[in-house]
Amino acid sequence: MTLNPRGWPVILVLELAVLAALLAMPAGLDHFWVIFVTRVMILALLAISFDLCWGYAGIMSFGQALFFGGAGYAVAVAARDLEITSVFIALPMAVAVGFVFSLFVGWFLLMTRFPPPIIFVALGTLTGSYIGQRLALSWYYLGGQNGIPSIPSLTVGDYPLYEGPVFYYMVLGLLLGVYLLCRWLVRSQFGLVLAGVRQQESRLTFLGYRVQTYKTMMFALAGSIAGLGGGLLAFHDGFIWPNSIGILVSTQAVIFVLFGGIGTLIGAVIGVGAIEYVGFELADRYPQIWPIILGALLLVVVMFRPTGLIGLLVPERERYGRFGKPPKGEDGDDGAA
Amino acid sequence: MSERESANGGWEVLPRRRFLSSTAWTAGAVATGLGSWVVPAKWASAADPIKVGIATDLTGAIGIAGNACANTARMMVEDINAAGGVIGRPLELYIEDTASNESVAVNNVRKLVQRHRVDVVLGGITSSMRNAIKDVIVNRGRTLYIYPQLYEGRECTPYLFCTGPTPAQQCDALIPWLMADGAKRFAFPSANYIWPHRLNEYARKVVEANGGEVVFEEYYPLDQIEYSATVSKIMNENIDIVFFTVIPPGLAPFVKQVYEAGYQQRGGRLSCVYYDENLLNFHPPHEMEGLVSCLDYFRAISDGGEHQFSADLHARYDAKFPDGPGFAAGSAATGIYRGLKMWEAAVNEAGNLERDDVAAAIDHAKIENGPGGGSEMVPGTYHCRMNMYIAVCKSGRYEIAQQSDGMVEPGECA
Amino acid sequence: MPIDAAFDIISFTSFVVLVVLGLGVIASMMGIFNLGHGDFVLLGAYTVFVFDELGLPIWLGMTVAPFAVALVGLVLERTVIRRFYAAPVIAMLGTYAIGVVIRETVRGLIGGLYHAIPEPLPGMIDIGEISISKWRLTVILITILVVLVSYLLLRRTTLGLKIRASLENPALARSAAISTGQIYALTFAFGCGLAGLAGALMVPAFSLSADLGVRFLIQAFLAIMLGGIGTFEGPIGGAALIGASTAAFPWVMNPILADIMVFVLAIVAIRLRPTGLFTKRRL
Repeated sequence: MTLNPRGWPVILVLELAVLAALLAMPAGLDHFWVIFVTRVMILALLAISFDLCWGYAGIMSFGQALFFGGAGYAVAVAARDLEITSVFIALPMAVAVGFVFSLFVGWFLLMTRFPPPIIFVALGTLTGSYIGQRLALSWYYLGGQNGIPSIPSLTVGDYPLYEGPVFYYMVLGLLLGVYLLCRWLVRSQFGLVLAGVRQQESRLTFLGYRVQTYKTMMFALAGSIAGLGGGLLAFHDGFIWPNSIGILVSTQAVIFVLFGGIGTLIGAVIGVGAIEYVGFELADRYPQIWPIILGALLLVVVMFRPTGLIGLLVPERERYGRFGKPPKGEDGDDGAA
Repeated sequence: MSERESANGGWEVLPRRRFLSSTAWTAGAVATGLGSWVVPAKWASAADPIKVGIATDLTGAIGIAGNACANTARMMVEDINAAGGVIGRPLELYIEDTASNESVAVNNVRKLVQRHRVDVVLGGITSSMRNAIKDVIVNRGRTLYIYPQLYEGRECTPYLFCTGPTPAQQCDALIPWLMADGAKRFAFPSANYIWPHRLNEYARKVVEANGGEVVFEEYYPLDQIEYSATVSKIMNENIDIVFFTVIPPGLAPFVKQVYEAGYQQRGGRLSCVYYDENLLNFHPPHEMEGLVSCLDYFRAISDGGEHQFSADLHARYDAKFPDGPGFAAGSAATGIYRGLKMWEAAVNEAGNLERDDVAAAIDHAKIENGPGGGSEMVPGTYHCRMNMYIAVCKSGRYEIAQQSDGMVEPGECA
Repeated sequence: MPIDAAFDIISFTSFVVLVVLGLGVIASMMGIFNLGHGDFVLLGAYTVFVFDELGLPIWLGMTVAPFAVALVGLVLERTVIRRFYAAPVIAMLGTYAIGVVIRETVRGLIGGLYHAIPEPLPGMIDIGEISISKWRLTVILITILVVLVSYLLLRRTTLGLKIRASLENPALARSAAISTGQIYALTFAFGCGLAGLAGALMVPAFSLSADLGVRFLIQAFLAIMLGGIGTFEGPIGGAALIGASTAAFPWVMNPILADIMVFVLAIVAIRLRPTGLFTKRRL
């Protein structure tokens, strides 16, 4: 690991710093902030899922909330009507729902005869999210405008998991697991193919890769992660409503990642933390002005600093990074695309 | 952190024709902060202040109602403090915006309960809001919750007291009154959430018990703006009474389209049980002519001079908040009044702020006088008896058409 | 029933057409997908509100609105949008951000509340059994007029030729002494002006709230994709289809189902005919 000649790779340092901070936080914070940071970590799952799509697979998804909120609704209904609240059933179910939804949407939007234009994918995912929101709004079984309130708490055996330190560490563990999995994946040979796709999709197609299949796989993985986040948030807040599945949350994911920095994973996590914290402080004082600032910030990032916050710290070369060893001892010295 | 409130509460609803003054909102916002308020107790005291939390929709589709609630609470807390506070301690008011957005609300209410550790929370207007925040307050937050708005009933949660009218109080007298002149055919166009569903369920029973017929009952997304199919059905099915529960943002287009189809011209009647004086300015008066509402208070009661207490209360409110939304029942302002007064009486009776003691005392709380008359909690049911009034809209004003014979039973949680 | 149904469907459709027209001009002629379009619509509606609040005639506000919004569009194009021509996706994000800023500013200015705006032409005309809103009738007529004028402008004038030339081949257009930068600025301002007009005309019917424009945005995008990008007729045809089905479906099915049916059908149709229903070109 000598990408940065001056010492440790910046991303690794950032990752370790964030992890250490998250591990230590509950000790020094009161109950309110423990809950706040738990939420941030759950939203980080949503942000990571968008980063996988846009930062790594080049899929502009304006619809990650469909998988996030869809899974949230699924576990909420299961908890309400079937009394399924066990961690070991509810969370895998959330992942499965996210996976199935995103596999379907991915198949529908990406597996077309010709590579779909990026605008079609962006609007398709946006519309998907909007349809989900309208459905949740209009379907009384899902509570209509009310959504589903008073969702029972998650349980491990007979022990209920209310929001608080235990819930916090559970989410942290899940986030860490997901993060490591993604980090390994995007640096594997699979990640290398996707990096190639981002550079020049048609060349990869000529080389014989089923590009759309790769993208759909990545999209489904991202959807599963969003689903896990949605399931967690439903239980954590004890409440889910149509906006959780709609455009508001979908675009929030985009903002988190663009602000933090695309294509680094840790940028997504940092973006969520920064936006949520600044948003909380400002929204408290200037609730009318905060959304305007958020919009202006996004505009500035889009115009002047497409690499986001993380681009201030991490050199370009490290952002591209390197990829896992090729299958048969070939020279994998510089896998940078 | 919360900011202190400016002298007259910088955030009021924009008065019409006062647009220019409102363009100063940015400056006002920076100076005072809008999201959460603390109204500190003015008199120094050795005793700690008691913290009262208000969580209501200061902004968003029903911001008018939310501001009426917050203003009522501001006025009352000032009055209570001027009279010596509760159990010798002053009240400190914490106001959080629920922003007509349940997700924002859950976080802001957490702030009230977990950071400020308020002793009671009043607020929430829509049922969806109550459902979203009640868990945070009552179960997870172990705090008392008083819900002030008229609603669909069946909320029988311990430590959650409802001080607004129930379907029984609103429909039992209203529907027979509507049918008195031979009207039989009802339509129930409604917004798709829990309150309209349950209210309609109750109203349908009353209609059918009185020999009427509900021709159709339909639910729309809250933000639907095109109602031509519905309006045409109203016209073609010869509906006599449109008993609607459409709420903003769909409300204005709905009422306009019904009027434009000529429904009122051919003698049809509108009825809506959350319609109060604050909604009078929402439409041109001709669109509302003849609309019938049934609530626990109307301004006409004060103007008619029948109830001096209400008239004084209303006059004081108007003097304090001349530009803001009015003191009106459908905006939950009267429910806030009853709730705060009953809670005050209960704390004085209990002598402490323990949740169980206060809840036990609220359970049989009574207030001699309030807007529209006195009211009392029906023990063991978390709901209030109160006077009810049927009012008809005539040229942009309500006129009282019928008054309940004493207090009406809530008929909930029995 | 059929007459009043037809009138209501046409009237709602004309609102959708008005919204789509501006979006379609910008998307077809510049290749920019303006996610902030709904908020330019809102800006038009807000202009009318300001006139109403100041006690000025509403029709004056409606006349001023398109020009005011066009001016805002022009300034934004010169300062921000022109940086995005190279990358359509960045343009989407950038215009989305602009939209957020506009929407939230207006939300603050109107106090986050809903405001009813009276029509400049209140009342109804009775035609036999049914009565028709004068205002809605006016909107239908204005829509037809605006579509015709826009069509003639883009198809029959030198300016329209230059605009189309700049789209087809910017380099060649520049070498033919067409200032593509100026043309783009004009086109964008024109599209924004149309959005402002749409907002100004619809606000009496639907009342003003900060989310007024967003309500139509996704429908408008689907309309463009459905009709086909790159032509003048495509988006209008798509808008007519989307608007008509939005208004017509509640007549024949449960309003809840009708609400989502439009979106589902549209996206499926787009997937099956990616180039649009009203274009002859095929991939």
